Amino acid sequence: MTDAIQIRGVTKTFGPKVAVRNLDLTIPQGSLYGFIGPNGAGKTTTIRMIMSIIFPDKGDLEVLGRTSALDSKDQIGYLPEERGVYRKMRVGAFLNFMGRLKGVDALHLDRIVRDWLDRVGLKDCYRKKCEELSKGMQQKVQFIAAAIHKPQLLILDEPFSGLDPVNRRLLRELIMEQHRAGHTVIFSTHAMFEAEQLCDHLFMIHKGDKVLDLPIGEVWRKYDPRTVIIEPMEALHDVDSSSWASLPGVREVQQGGRGFDLRLTDDADPSAVMEAVTRTTRVRRMEIKRPSLEDIFIDLVGGEAAGLRAELEAEHGATPELTEVARA
Amino acid sequence: MRKTLAVAWREFWATVGTKGFILGVFLPLIIMGGALSLMPILMNKSAPAVTGRIGVIDHSGAVADKLAKAFSPEELKKRTEKRVKRRMEQAGQMNPAMADEKTKRQAEMALQAMYKAPELSVDILGPDTDLDAAKAPIMEVAGKARDAGAAHQRLALAVIPAGAVKAAETGGFTPYEFFIAPKLDPEVQDDIREQISRAVVDARLEAAGLEAASVRSIIEQPRSETRVVTKEGERSSNEVAALLMPMGFMMLLWISVITGGQSLLSSTVEEKGSRIMEVLLSAVSPMQLMVGKIIGQMGVALVILLVYAALGVGSLAAFRQMHMLDPMNLVYLAVFFVLGFFMVASMMAAIGSAVNDIREAQALMGPVMMVLVIPMVLWMPISRNPNSTFAQVCSYLPPINPFIMVVRLAGSEEIPAWQIPISILTALFGAVVSAWFAAKVFRIGVLMYGKPPNFRTLLKWVRMA
Repeated sequence: MTDAIQIRGVTKTFGPKVAVRNLDLTIPQGSLYGFIGPNGAGKTTTIRMIMSIIFPDKGDLEVLGRTSALDSKDQIGYLPEERGVYRKMRVGAFLNFMGRLKGVDALHLDRIVRDWLDRVGLKDCYRKKCEELSKGMQQKVQFIAAAIHKPQLLILDEPFSGLDPVNRRLLRELIMEQHRAGHTVIFSTHAMFEAEQLCDHLFMIHKGDKVLDLPIGEVWRKYDPRTVIIEPMEALHDVDSSSWASLPGVREVQQGGRGFDLRLTDDADPSAVMEAVTRTTRVRRMEIKRPSLEDIFIDLVGGEAAGLRAELEAEHGATPELTEVARA
Repeated sequence: MRKTLAVAWREFWATVGTKGFILGVFLPLIIMGGALSLMPILMNKSAPAVTGRIGVIDHSGAVADKLAKAFSPEELKKRTEKRVKRRMEQAGQMNPAMADEKTKRQAEMALQAMYKAPELSVDILGPDTDLDAAKAPIMEVAGKARDAGAAHQRLALAVIPAGAVKAAETGGFTPYEFFIAPKLDPEVQDDIREQISRAVVDARLEAAGLEAASVRSIIEQPRSETRVVTKEGERSSNEVAALLMPMGFMMLLWISVITGGQSLLSSTVEEKGSRIMEVLLSAVSPMQLMVGKIIGQMGVALVILLVYAALGVGSLAAFRQMHMLDPMNLVYLAVFFVLGFFMVASMMAAIGSAVNDIREAQALMGPVMMVLVIPMVLWMPISRNPNSTFAQVCSYLPPINPFIMVVRLAGSEEIPAWQIPISILTALFGAVVSAWFAAKVFRIGVLMYGKPPNFRTLLKWVRMA
């Protein structure tokens, strides 16, 4: 199987700022790749270079076997971060226009447009003007515009931003459907739990540098779970948690809002620890906590964690686990 | 190419299909048509006839009576009828449609309504009347409603010195003095002056022992019509229409090109402002997008050109003046339209792609518009003198040469045939250069947000791309 995208030694600077530094990245065909990183990390720049909208200062890239995405535009679907619609145009006319621009057979185009609108729950919007739609509805229309020509390679820049939970799920399903059909899908997000739920490959970028590029399974293997969460049946102050600290493999016990986090040493066996805990305490919930991508990310970028944490919290509310990891 | 045409098609309909465009193109036509058909009705309700009195202080003793007679109701009526008749003749020359009896009657009625005989009479004041006292009633008229007690108002005062009739020893006559109330109808003013002059001259003739009436009949010369001799035969010359022709051509070209260009500018700014640019660029290249947009807006400009050209040709046909139109000029109009539009549209596309909103566009548009209004300023001297060196130089200066050339072609003099292809070539060169410039700026500009650019930034982008 050939690779959908190959990036070799690509650097792009904007004035004094290095947006992407000496990047190597290979995206195999059929994969579902997540580009993650905070705002301004270089995700959009990388995607724009893949799309040949901007060109690298150094290095070269190959998209669908060609040196420029311009040569295979009709096989690529792209939902840019900066996306708009013609406000005065009707939804149906707009999608027909986009379909024609992407070389969809004019004969079936209108039926395809109607099918798509039906599937995303915008059946009645065919004759509405784009400006009459809510932001979330517009986003769905834009997704259709990106995917209407069944592209082999679908690139979505921040596809989830501004969607409510129902539409997030709908979009996840649509993405999975493209993935199952064997198309390569790349999406970027700074909301890392989206990536956690969806992608099979992870690419993390921070300040223009690649910090991680692994299949998701590898990521979990590499960042092995080292914390057990315990929520006891009794009130927290009635629980004798001090004894847990002396269990073999437990490094530290922390009390949180609803329960306790047991930090394990690197060589500990989580199941043995859990068994030991259940012998002394009645437990409502107990689980081995997988590190979130956020944890991993912050782990990787290390020293700059404090600033990042503030940024991430600002993005989607405070996350208690994150706070603890950062403290540890 | 298919994609370019898809862009062009959308661009065309997105502009032409709006209510604003339809109103903008057809409303002036409707207003014009409405005004023309309302004119006779409005004319019938024209201002009331001027009424009042003219004071005369006659030191010569020979003029006042003649003047009083000239302003008798019968004479006033006669003069008004004569004026209507003259206007009818002029209208008949200008507009052969007047040959139709019904039209003629309508026009006559309209003119009669327009030229109501003024109700004037003459007060003969004694030679020893104080001038200031005589002027005082005129001052009272000022600011008062003209119709209240109108018949008694003094509108004008003429003072005829004895020297006006009897020549001085050194030869030559003294001019008469003339005072009028402000805002006196200019036609009435002219009439009063003419009558005074006539009365004075008649008095002089009589003083010289000649019979005024017979001398007048000798010196009066009926107006003769100017006729242009051409190979196709004679035709009456029509100064005004000959001047309107080049202006018509230039306005057609200018309005259509500028409207199309403006709408290209605003649609590009909108695409950038509503962030749809990148969505489009995922499917088409910047060049395809730009060319598509230019073609689409050229269609828009063409619609405007055709609507107004049809109107122009239609009215020429209605007035049986088709001989004034050289069909070859329409062909040149089409050629210069395409070239002129490409030059203007490229500039507009470049500006539209570079700015963030329409306000920033205005700053860059200033100098461009300054260049583009040059033909508007120059059409008059150039159409009068199509072969002046200045006109010739302007014919080779893109981007204004298409406008200049249509003026020269429609102007009153033949222009050397070799100048036409050369002008077309320079316009073509201008179009290619501006399209090249626009393509470079467009490619960089469409995805640049932030600081409003100036011309120096644009040049930097051209070097970058």
